[in-house]
Amino acid sequence: MTALNDIVPFRAPRRRSDTNSFVGMLIFLGTWAMMFGALFFAYAEVRLKNAEWPPSGEAPLPIALPLLNTIVLMLASVALGFALKAVRTAHPGGLRLGLFGALVFGSLFLALQMVVWRSIYLGGLKPSTDIYGSVFYGLTCFHALHVLVGLGGIISLLPGALSGKFNVQRHASVRHWVMYWHFVDVVWVLMFVTVYVL
Amino acid sequence: MDAHAHGGHSGPDGHGGYHEEQHIHPDPTTFLRKYVFSMDHKVIAKQFIWLGLAFLFIGGTMAMMIRWQLAYPGEPFPVIGKWVFAGSNGIVSPSAYTSLFTMHGTIMIFFAITPIMIGGFGNFCIPLMIGARDMIFPLLNMLSFWMQMISSGVLIASFFVPMGAAAAGWTSYATLSTNIGTPGWGQTMWAISIFLAGISTIMGAVNYITTVIRLRAPGMGYFQMPLTVWGLWLTAILNALFVPVLGAAGILLIFDRTFGTHFFMTGTMIKGGGDPLLFQHLFWIFGHPEVYILILPAWGVVSDLLAFFSRKPAYAYKVTALSMVAICVLSAVVYGHHMYVTTMSPLLGEGFMVLTMIISVPAMVLFLNWMKTVWKGSMRLTSPMLFSLGVVFVFGVGGLTGLYLADIPQDLYLHDTYFVVGHFHMTMAAAVFLGSFASIYFWFPKMFGRQFSEGLAKLHFWLSFIPINIIFCSMLVIGNAGMQRRLYNPNDYEMFKHMHPLNRWISMWAFTLFFGQIPFIYNFFKSVFAGKQAEMNPWQVGTLEWSIPSPPPHHNFDEIPHVIHGPHEYNNPAVTTKDWLGQAEEIPGTGGGAAVSKPAN
Ligand code: HEM
Ligand SMILES: [Cu+2]
Repeated sequence: MTALNDIVPFRAPRRRSDTNSFVGMLIFLGTWAMMFGALFFAYAEVRLKNAEWPPSGEAPLPIALPLLNTIVLMLASVALGFALKAVRTAHPGGLRLGLFGALVFGSLFLALQMVVWRSIYLGGLKPSTDIYGSVFYGLTCFHALHVLVGLGGIISLLPGALSGKFNVQRHASVRHWVMYWHFVDVVWVLMFVTVYVL
Repeated sequence: MDAHAHGGHSGPDGHGGYHEEQHIHPDPTTFLRKYVFSMDHKVIAKQFIWLGLAFLFIGGTMAMMIRWQLAYPGEPFPVIGKWVFAGSNGIVSPSAYTSLFTMHGTIMIFFAITPIMIGGFGNFCIPLMIGARDMIFPLLNMLSFWMQMISSGVLIASFFVPMGAAAAGWTSYATLSTNIGTPGWGQTMWAISIFLAGISTIMGAVNYITTVIRLRAPGMGYFQMPLTVWGLWLTAILNALFVPVLGAAGILLIFDRTFGTHFFMTGTMIKGGGDPLLFQHLFWIFGHPEVYILILPAWGVVSDLLAFFSRKPAYAYKVTALSMVAICVLSAVVYGHHMYVTTMSPLLGEGFMVLTMIISVPAMVLFLNWMKTVWKGSMRLTSPMLFSLGVVFVFGVGGLTGLYLADIPQDLYLHDTYFVVGHFHMTMAAAVFLGSFASIYFWFPKMFGRQFSEGLAKLHFWLSFIPINIIFCSMLVIGNAGMQRRLYNPNDYEMFKHMHPLNRWISMWAFTLFFGQIPFIYNFFKSVFAGKQAEMNPWQVGTLEWSIPSPPPHHNFDEIPHVIHGPHEYNNPAVTTKDWLGQAEEIPGTGGGAAVSKPAN
């Protein structure tokens, strides 16, 4: 028995209602993926229309700071993965640590994003300058809104985590917000590759 | 029989705990919880239907104004004209006309049909027909309705802002819909309102899809579901996939209009401009699936009703369900047929043409299955049946006109003429209109627990069916003769002048259709408030919602039913006492119902 437990970590059997909301969350993320998919479609379309990119001969977007920021956002996801694992293996301390970590990394992401926007705006690229600016601000701002919502979600989990409301059996909302964050993270990676790198 | 026992029994698909999971909650007691912020799917369904009917009336009134202008250009609109068009002596002004056809389309699609068929009957039918006590996420369900209310509020408010409501067509093509084409708040509020309505729809879709996947009563496999549920479920899936694309288009439009971005603008002055066609792509990637989103619930309902009232099992049930699936899949890859005239590459155009025509194959299969269902049935021409047969007819005619439009050489001529208007009104407006009334009459006894007047309902059918066909077939004719859509006054053009009598004729029948709704309004209000108590199963059909009282109690089912038959168990030779069998009903006189052979037919 112990040998098996070493290989397959123990997981409490899932309640049916948890599976329900899990399925609902998956479907929701699927719809939201279509929304971002459409935005990437828009990006591809305007890229195809403009032979030169960036089009008006302005300087391309910086890469170093956004790359660092990508790593920061991934760390937030990692922290949340850690938190989920902790609550599943009955480590309330780990849950709290993971949530705080994600809160810190998520806020840091937004702060750094603010720095990027500011420096680019002061550098002369505005949303109305040309399609390059439109795509950059449009996509990154819309994404940042999702990070903001995600931070709100983590904050909403904190009281429960601090008072020990979540346990091995009951932590569906933790799981949902972790799924949401992973999603926002994946979208960001795609955005980083398309908007900044390519 | 002990399969019905309370507690954790497992369904055939192995899930346990249907009962633990779907607790019976106490009935809400306060007025607010019961009627306003209700989480009961049956109440939310009614809220959606009232909302949809109100907008159907508003949108219909706008259609009358449009038709008035085409019949009597420059003459003041009777009775209410002097208030509505106060600035122009009661005459429909050119700018008002543009707003009218824009808002007519928007309202009918997003605020009338969507709430009635999807919000209303989706909510009402899905849990009842799959044997669930409520939607799986009741709170989300309530939020979905209130999101739709907020969206409706924004839309209504947009009529009263400076420069008036949106005026770029329901399709809102850029650059018409950017600040260049339509300055002012109206168009921005349109985009916001559509975005919010989209959120509401997505909330509903997540709820419906999950409910069907997770809450089917034990024994109800996907192929034991009524076709109504199939239609609603597929609609929800298409909604979940494609409404977000419209949402993205709306967001970019809002960005362009308020933050000065250039997604949809280009020109020689702007180096590195966006692309106006981008909006058309995004709109139709959503828009073509949207037309099936609107028709699928009606298809599902009609497929069931034809079987119910022919007293026969639906012909080739599985094929019908699967052809609806095939249509959904194909609908994702044909949107280009709306853009043939946008200088798309001929190769791409031909691809879209072939794919579009292929859609007719499953559509035809569906249609033939309907025919075979009623063929030699013992038909009962009740009002829901009449409306269903009406759907079959108008959809048959309308579907055929689609083939002409799908053909590129013909579309180059027909595009943006009244032929297109006739086509989509025949398939979408007429078919969904009649389908909605089929649903309203059919489920009325269950929904309100009252009977309506069958005579008035039949009168309503003929007063709707005849005008609808004359109106939209005449539009096909006038479009084929070349009349363009969205013209303020066709008589200003030498080549359209001689069509004035035909335009007037269409308008006459449109007014007839409008006033033909009076029997419905009278019948509906009178029966809701003072109709006779309805029986539990007035139509003698076997789907689960008819096995519980009318109206159903708050928790629907005292015992979650155990399903043993398909939805159309008619004239089963093993049943001798009646011609139908409930889905959870054992064959009378036999001990168990599990091993029932399929009826010969
Ligand atoms: C066999 C089936 C069908 C085919 C081949 C077909 C084909 C087409 C084509 C090619 C157009 C573009 C015409 C143009 O703009 O020049 C069109 C427009 C349209 N169709 Fe269909 N169609 C079919 C069924 C339907 C159904 C079932 C619905 C609705 C329930 C529908 C609703 C519409 C709408 C709303 C438009 C255009 C709206 C606009 O431009 O404002 N169609 N159809
Ligand atoms: Cu289409």
